[in-house]
Amino acid sequence: MSTRPSKNPRDQANRTTGNERSQFDRIYRDHVDLIYRYANRLCGDVDSAKDLVQETFLNAYRGFKDFRGDAQISTWLYTIASRACLRMRRKKKGEPERELSLEEFIPTSEGEFRLQISVDGLTPEEAFQNKELRQALDQAIEKLPKKYRMVLVLRDMEGLSTKEVGTVMGLNERAVKSRLHRARLFVRRELSARGITEGQSEEPRPTTQTSGGSYR
Amino acid sequence: MTKKVPTRKRARAQGASSHEHNTGRCLHILRRLSAYIDDELTSDVCEEIRHHLGACPNCEVFVESLRHTVTLCRHRPAPTLSPADRQVLRENILRAAGAQGRL
Repeated sequence: MSTRPSKNPRDQANRTTGNERSQFDRIYRDHVDLIYRYANRLCGDVDSAKDLVQETFLNAYRGFKDFRGDAQISTWLYTIASRACLRMRRKKKGEPERELSLEEFIPTSEGEFRLQISVDGLTPEEAFQNKELRQALDQAIEKLPKKYRMVLVLRDMEGLSTKEVGTVMGLNERAVKSRLHRARLFVRRELSARGITEGQSEEPRPTTQTSGGSYR
Repeated sequence: MTKKVPTRKRARAQGASSHEHNTGRCLHILRRLSAYIDDELTSDVCEEIRHHLGACPNCEVFVESLRHTVTLCRHRPAPTLSPADRQVLRENILRAAGAQGRL
């Protein structure tokens, strides 16, 4: 039995394939939960999130030879997922990208200054016991134009640094901060009386003050 | 606006509706609130903002609500994949890669 590498092209191809498969399996095993979490937060539903995970790892598989290792694998995968998400959403809806201006977030009535469902004195875990709050937050994030949603999800939910978000999205740090600020203001407004009241207009809901605590 | 509310106590008693939150100082503060929450501003600017918040109850409530919003985003639990789903997705990916001549 020879210990030398085979010169047979088919053997070499099989070995390359085996190496690729084992590299893929390692990356998949270590990062699939991370990318699914990101995909779920971006897409807002399970089926779209699974589609995005598949698209991301398929593209990663194709592009692994081009990965130079000058970024973390997780950052590389976030980048692939973000691009795939933009492509998928364009195919589905062709929705126009709305720009958010700071002026639209200036409160104009008393109820808009505070959150409609009070979380004062509660830990986040306690606050999320309130189903209405969970739904309101998820809906607010889902309503964000996607380029703002991506920045919010990456920075505030996935915990990437401003610089890492810039790498993933191809933006400078100033642009990341600007989008993040607008995205936070948007979500805040949606959780204020204005956002929740508008959401109620189609379907009446019971008062929120009894379910989540009381205003100060 | 800030000039109309001489003290925080009196402003709260009067209610927030007297505060026109759309010009001048409040708007200037609004632009910087994420950086303030993320502790990215110099101590001088932070002090300036704290001073304004101390005198402007609406801005104080607003910044607290923004801080709560960020905290909620940071702690929102995300669903996880089941082991069976993980396996199915892996097989789908490898099948698709194979169909495209990679395997």
